[in-house]
Amino acid sequence: MLITALKTPHELRLAVPTFWPERLMWENFAEVFRKIPFWRYFANTAIQTVGIVVLQINVALMAAYAFAKGSFPGRDKLFLLVLAALIVPDQVTFVPVYVMMADLNWLNTFYALIVPHAASAYGIFLLRQTFRSIHNDVIEAAKVDGANRLQVLYRILTPMALPTVATLVVISFINSWNSYFWPLVMTNSNDMRVLTVGIAMMRDSIAGDEMLNFHYLMAASIIVIIPIILLFVFAQKYIIAAMSNSTFK
Amino acid sequence: MTGTEGPGAATNIKRRPKAWEYMKDFAFALPALAMLLIFIYYPLVNSFYLSFTNWNMTRPNKEFIGLDNYEKLLTGDTFYKVLGITFTYTVFDVLLTLGIGLMLALLFNVTSRFFNFMRSVIFMPHYISMVIVSMVFLWIFNSQYGLMNELLKFLGLEPVDWLTNPKTALWVLIVVSVWKGVGFAMIIFIAGLRGIPLEYYEASSIDGASKWTQFRKITLPLLSPITLFLVVTNFISSMQVFQSVDVMTNGGPLESTKAMVYWIYEMAFAEFRTGRASALIIMFFIMIVLLTVLQMYVSRKKSITKGRFISKCLHP
Repeated sequence: MLITALKTPHELRLAVPTFWPERLMWENFAEVFRKIPFWRYFANTAIQTVGIVVLQINVALMAAYAFAKGSFPGRDKLFLLVLAALIVPDQVTFVPVYVMMADLNWLNTFYALIVPHAASAYGIFLLRQTFRSIHNDVIEAAKVDGANRLQVLYRILTPMALPTVATLVVISFINSWNSYFWPLVMTNSNDMRVLTVGIAMMRDSIAGDEMLNFHYLMAASIIVIIPIILLFVFAQKYIIAAMSNSTFK
Repeated sequence: MTGTEGPGAATNIKRRPKAWEYMKDFAFALPALAMLLIFIYYPLVNSFYLSFTNWNMTRPNKEFIGLDNYEKLLTGDTFYKVLGITFTYTVFDVLLTLGIGLMLALLFNVTSRFFNFMRSVIFMPHYISMVIVSMVFLWIFNSQYGLMNELLKFLGLEPVDWLTNPKTALWVLIVVSVWKGVGFAMIIFIAGLRGIPLEYYEASSIDGASKWTQFRKITLPLLSPITLFLVVTNFISSMQVFQSVDVMTNGGPLESTKAMVYWIYEMAFAEFRTGRASALIIMFFIMIVLLTVLQMYVSRKKSITKGRFISKCLHP
């Protein structure tokens, strides 16, 4: 039973062409685009993902620099505050944040999807570890040459920490691409749905004659998975290395 | 404090006032800190406050009702039922994911093109959206056309209404989660296995230890810090099961798959009982904190005993 289960992700991508005749399959894809505003969902997901990735990386780079190489009173205590945020899941904060978004009139906008996830405690933690391993002389040398903090961070530290930055980009991309709970709570208009929510809704709307439409769901699912697979194939080394490292520390 | 800065870091090359330098450094940490305060810590405190009110999101003012929400939850049956479902799901999910993950790690801890590829295939589902995975399993476990029942029929067994039977629905959810999670456990276990020095195995096989004894006396004890890490992280994420419930069962049949987060979501956004949902959120959060504290406590103890384990293994 497990072996069957283990094979399926693989088969799923191949299963559609084998289970349905080639000709029909392409019609399924076309039908998906007719049935739901697929590209709208796709664009929403892409905007959400890019927004979160760009914000998270920059906020984390700056914070990691401050916590690793900066000096200000209470630095290490404030870093504990960052670490503690790691144990607070979305499911604990969503009600007040929902109310906050409603007050700001941000529900059903990209702000509600992106802004609350701007700071990633995990990202700050990982980058700080990397920055700490970079020797201070490098920074001092740059400062002597007249570089300001931003230049030191983006021109010198970031290129040196590139493997970690790449890992974070990948992890943050995958997490936001796949996120479901947050967009489900923060959006309710069809125009603002992301792929995960859109597909789940599509299932609900056809629950009665599930089987008749299952191939559409599968066709839609395949398109959702493709970016992740591509990313995975290119960045697998980074991901596995990062995960193994963070376990031991 | 300045010791961590290394030599020369604290000397002000340009001789600016120190406070100004502090401010500039702090400014870099500020965006992150502000975001965490606004979107993590304030909501946490606010949830705590809301849990003592009878607010329902539409009512303009909140009435303070003390511990009433907690009392209602703790004296009702649903809470214990949901807790039972969540823990059954979590315990079996963690046990199976780690058990199978460890077996796969032992099997696939070989460097070759084929095994590298297989590892990637098994690991991949970890990064595929749970919504999509749930959709696929919805199809596999469909009672009329699903692969699972085709297989049962092929073996001459009675087909099962997997997702509409209260006895099996939770198990389907467990299977989905295990399938998605074993790859991650495997990768982490393999990283752990590669960290065990080969000398231990060599030394013990000279002493005549069997493969099984080696596994029990060397591999398992030395993997224990990693196992602990996996148990706790898996436990915490399992407790938060939501997507598969929402997509596959909607908490049914007969509420047999109504796990904690799904109940919270239902209470907050279907019944609009914000106050009571907040009380549930706070209790849920306390459980997560306790688990995390337990992990930190145990892992501190473990690292002390680890040395003894190793010396015991070498000199039995």
